[in-house]
Amino acid sequence: MSPTTQAAIRDTDAPLLQLTDVTTHFRTPRGLVRAVDGVSFTLERGKSLGIVGESGSGKTILSRSIMGLLPTHGTVRSGSIKYAGREIGNLGRKEMRSVWGREMAMIFQDPMTSLNPLMKIGDQIAEPLRIHLKMNKVDAWATARKLLQDVRIPEPDRRLHQYPHELSGGMRQRVMIAIAMACGPTALFADEPTTALDVTVQAQILDLLGEQRRERNMSIVLVTHDLGVVAGHTDEIAVMYGGKLVEKASTRRLFAAMKMPYTEALLASIPKMSDASHTRLAVIPGRPPDLVNPPKGCRFAARCPYAQEKCIAEEPPLTVTADDPDHSYACWFPVGSPEYHEARARLSDKKNTVEAA
Amino acid sequence: MSDTTTPRRSLRQRLHLPRLGVLFGLVWLGSLTILTVLANHVPAAVPFIRYYDSKVKVDGKVKKYGFGPGLDAWFGTGKSAEDIFARCIYGAKLTLLIGIGATIIGLVVGALIGVLSGYFRGWTDRVAGIATDSLMSIPPLLLSLVLVLRLDDLKEQYSWMGWISRPWQLSLTLGLVSVAPFARIVRAQTMVLREREFVTAARSLGASRSRIIARELLPNLIPAMVTVAFTGLGILIAAEAGLAFLGMGVEEPHTWGKMIDIARDDIEKAWWATAFPCLMLFLTVLSFNLLGDELARRFDIREAAV
Repeated sequence: MSPTTQAAIRDTDAPLLQLTDVTTHFRTPRGLVRAVDGVSFTLERGKSLGIVGESGSGKTILSRSIMGLLPTHGTVRSGSIKYAGREIGNLGRKEMRSVWGREMAMIFQDPMTSLNPLMKIGDQIAEPLRIHLKMNKVDAWATARKLLQDVRIPEPDRRLHQYPHELSGGMRQRVMIAIAMACGPTALFADEPTTALDVTVQAQILDLLGEQRRERNMSIVLVTHDLGVVAGHTDEIAVMYGGKLVEKASTRRLFAAMKMPYTEALLASIPKMSDASHTRLAVIPGRPPDLVNPPKGCRFAARCPYAQEKCIAEEPPLTVTADDPDHSYACWFPVGSPEYHEARARLSDKKNTVEAA
Repeated sequence: MSDTTTPRRSLRQRLHLPRLGVLFGLVWLGSLTILTVLANHVPAAVPFIRYYDSKVKVDGKVKKYGFGPGLDAWFGTGKSAEDIFARCIYGAKLTLLIGIGATIIGLVVGALIGVLSGYFRGWTDRVAGIATDSLMSIPPLLLSLVLVLRLDDLKEQYSWMGWISRPWQLSLTLGLVSVAPFARIVRAQTMVLREREFVTAARSLGASRSRIIARELLPNLIPAMVTVAFTGLGILIAAEAGLAFLGMGVEEPHTWGKMIDIARDDIEKAWWATAFPCLMLFLTVLSFNLLGDELARRFDIREAAV
C-alpha cells in the first residue's frame, strides 16, 4: 500500500471497521469447531467497542480474525471484513504486513510474555518505527522516548536502556501500549489487556488507553470477560456467546435496558458494593455450548432460566429494538417481554414452594 | 555464638564459588587450553613440557618405554621413547580443535534446519524431519567410517578438494553425524518459542519472517544452543577418539585417540602409555558434560538425548 492510497483510506467516509457475517472455523480431529459463527458489526472511527463474553465465547478468535493473526493451517474463514471500505479479510500475509502496525495494532493479555526478554525496551519500541516509517536509529529512539512519556512511564531515558525483566507488569503493559501506538494505528485491539494486572493498575491502564484514543482519534476494540472493565471505558458493548453476537448496544443503553438474559446473568455475576457481606455470588449454571455440535436453537437456552420450547427448537435472529436502532439482540423472549415476566413469576413461585416445603 | 536461626553456609557458598564439578570443569579445560596453546606456539613459555618429538633417553640410549611415570617423564615414555605428558599436551590441540570444528559445523547446519522446520512447520518440517530421521537411523560409527574413507577417495579424485586434510575430514564427518540431534533440539525449542506471545506481538506489528527469525527467535535460542554445544563437544571428542582408535586418526602430533591406538598393544608392558591419554580424554569429556549440565540448569533447558 503506497502512502497516498493509505491517506485516501484514512479520508474515506466508510466506517473504520465493517464486519459482515464473519465466521472462523477450525478443523480438528473432533470435527469443525465453530469458534466464530456469523458475526456482523460496524465500528466508527475514534469509537471504542468492548467485546464481552466468557471463556470460549469466541471473542479472542474474533479479534484475531480481524487482525488476520490466526494460523492458516486448519482454519476456515468466510464473510467480509472491511477496513475503511477496503476488504482485508482475504489479504495474504505479505499484504497484511503493511496493515499491521501502521493501520491496526494489538495489545496482548500477558505483558510478562509479550515482550522479547532479550531486547532493550528502546529497541523494541524503535523496531516498528524503523521497519514501517523507515526512521534512522537516532530518530526512532527519540520517538520511543516520547512514546514512553506518552504512556506515563517515569524516567523514560533510563527505561529505554532496560530489559523487560527490570520492569513491573503494569510498566510492561504500558510499554506494550507504546509499541502498539508507535506507528500511529487507526485501530487498536486490546485482548484482555488488564487481566494479568493488579486491580489498582487495571484502572490506570484503561484510563491510559482511553486518553490515547481521544488524543490520537484511534478506535479501540477492548476484548474482555469482565463487564466491569468495559463499563466506564467503551462507547459500545458487544456481548458474545458460543461464537455468536447476542447483544450489542451503546454502553449506557446496555446497562439500562439489556434485552438478552445472558447479559443480565453476566451483570448479576458482578459482586456489588451495596450487597450485604456473605451474599452468595450469582453464577451462571452449566457450561458454554459445544462449538463442534452447537445446539439447534438459542445457544444459551440450556443455561437460560427463562428458556421455553421455542428457544430450544429455533435459533433467534439478531433483531433491532424498536426504540433504539443501535441496540440489537438475539432472543425470543427478551428481558422485559410479557413471556419473560411470566417465566420469572413462575420461577419465584417454584422457589417459594420449595422453601415452604 | 549461638547462631541457630541461619543455617551455616558452606565455605564454597561463602566464597561465592561455583559448584565443585563446575569449578573442576572450568579449571581443567582452562589450563588444558592454555598449556596446549603455549606448547604448540610459544614453547619457550612452558619449559617443563618437552618438545613432542624429543626422545627421553635412558643413559644416552633410546629405549622403548624407557621410563614409567615419575620425575624423568611425568606420564612415562612411549614406544619410541617420547614423553607421554608432552604428547598429551601437544595432542590436546587437535583433539579440541576437531571437536570444536565438528560442533560448530553440526550446530550451524543443525540450527538452520531446526529453526526453519520449527518455524515454518508444514512441508519444510516434513522434508527436514525425514532427512534427519534417516540420518539418525544409520549407526553413527559406521556412517563416520564410511564418510572418512569416502573423503579420502574424493580428495585423490578431485584436486580442488585437496585442502581437506585429515583433521578437516574428521570435523566434517563428525559435524554431519551430529547435525540430526542438534536439528531436533533446536526445532523443539523453536516450536516452543514461536508460540510465545512476543513472537505474535512482533507479527502483529508487521515484522517480516526473516526479521522474526533473526531478532526474536535466534537470540532466544542461543542459551539452548550453547548448552547442547557443550554436551555435544564432549561426545564428539570421544567420537573422534573412537575413530582414531579404529585407524582414522591424524598424523603427528597425534590426538589422544591415536595415542591410545598406538600404545594399546603394549598395555601389559607399559600401562601408562595407554592410561594417561585415556585419563585426559575422560576428564575432558567429563568437564564438558559438567559444564553442559550446569548451563542447562541455569537456562532451564530440558534436553533431548543428543
